[in-house]
Amino acid sequence: MTLHNALARFSTLAAVALLTACATVKAPPPEERIPEDPWEPLNRNIYAFNRGVDKAVLRPLARGYDYVTPEPVERGIANFFDNIRSLPDIANLLLQGRPMNALRMTERFFVNTVFGIGGIVDVATDAGIPDFDEDLGQTLAVWGWADSPFLMLPFLGPSTVRDTLGMAGDSTYDIAWQRTLDSAKYYPLPLDIIQLRARLLDRDADLDAAYDEYLLVRDAWLQRRAYKISGESATPDYDALLDEDPWEDDPPPGDDARN
Amino acid sequence: MNRILLAAFALLLASTPTRALDGPVEIVRETSNEIFGQIELSREHFEENPDALRNVVRELMLPRIDVVYSGRLVLGRAARGIERDKVIAFSDALSELLIERYATGLLEFRTRDQIEVLPLEGDNSERMTKVRTRVTLNNGKTAPVDYVFRNTDEGWKIFDVIVEGISYVATFRNQIGEQIRADGFDATLERLKAGRLDLEVEDV
Repeated sequence: MTLHNALARFSTLAAVALLTACATVKAPPPEERIPEDPWEPLNRNIYAFNRGVDKAVLRPLARGYDYVTPEPVERGIANFFDNIRSLPDIANLLLQGRPMNALRMTERFFVNTVFGIGGIVDVATDAGIPDFDEDLGQTLAVWGWADSPFLMLPFLGPSTVRDTLGMAGDSTYDIAWQRTLDSAKYYPLPLDIIQLRARLLDRDADLDAAYDEYLLVRDAWLQRRAYKISGESATPDYDALLDEDPWEDDPPPGDDARN
Repeated sequence: MNRILLAAFALLLASTPTRALDGPVEIVRETSNEIFGQIELSREHFEENPDALRNVVRELMLPRIDVVYSGRLVLGRAARGIERDKVIAFSDALSELLIERYATGLLEFRTRDQIEVLPLEGDNSERMTKVRTRVTLNNGKTAPVDYVFRNTDEGWKIFDVIVEGISYVATFRNQIGEQIRADGFDATLERLKAGRLDLEVEDV
């Protein structure tokens, strides 16, 4: 089967998934949406499409991969792809004005590439060298682009407008992508996608059991993203979460609230 | 000499009932030490009987959780006009599921050294405190797990857990809110009691 044929089949499948998805999607009216997700109806449709593709193609492949690949081999493959993605991390640490962290990340890349057999063994973690996960979207946020509307990307998943631009920017110096473009024959992009998906298989039960999958994915992604940008987990404004009708044993609101 | 020992011993005994008045960091440290102590003693037993581990975790954790406050945060406006007993029943079911999840996850850890409790830092007050911990996963990577405490009449109690920035309260508030809007409070409570509502927030 040529790549072209595969793509043709895939898009038919995708169209079917999209049609099914459109029929089932619900979204609240504009005034009830959270400010971070103004395009919720569109995003929900794209999510349903992605999930359709996932259930039909990606998840079965990932399950097959997970089934036939022994655990140490799987870990080696995951390490290899993580290591190859170190360069955008280093570039973004520099762009964020964190040269010492960039140095540590360079050290990690060097140690894993040389002593970890091209990145297959994560010797750096065992040696206590820290790991950083930085991308251009985070850099843009650090530079002041704090809020950006949530955007569900077809095939690629949860993002924001800012992070989509960041992803495009990162891909210009991401050697993994560069290799794909230069010699599509050799770079195992499908394997990369499948191994990434396989690492998330454990989470599938949670997704399947969620009352509203889209909300779970969106809320969790936005919170985790905020954590990655600031490096510190934000505490929700709990006072605002409580119903306004207070129980009599509650302290009066605003009384010595968080600093 | 004996008298001093005796006095020290008496002090130790006397301090046990007031443990609830410990600071948040001590509570996290003590509770995880106690739980891991139990697991180290009888890991095989617990692996075969998840219920037994759940009971241990419940016994050790429940006195340190502000169950009703947490439940009310998750419910938010959906609690309006709902009888207090039902809100409490809802909160109990919620924490029960959380404890069950927590107990299942615990067996993944080989040693207690995989959990590091960090000193307090950042936005803390007399009323609310966040204790940060770093959990080392079996693949060597670390994940941040934070416990949010509030100061109650019975001492400091946990009411939220934040894993990699994902707050259990904030995340399940939306899930539950959506469900109550669609199916009503009673149906949601029944579903929750039956354990059919998933509460996993860990994304590690």
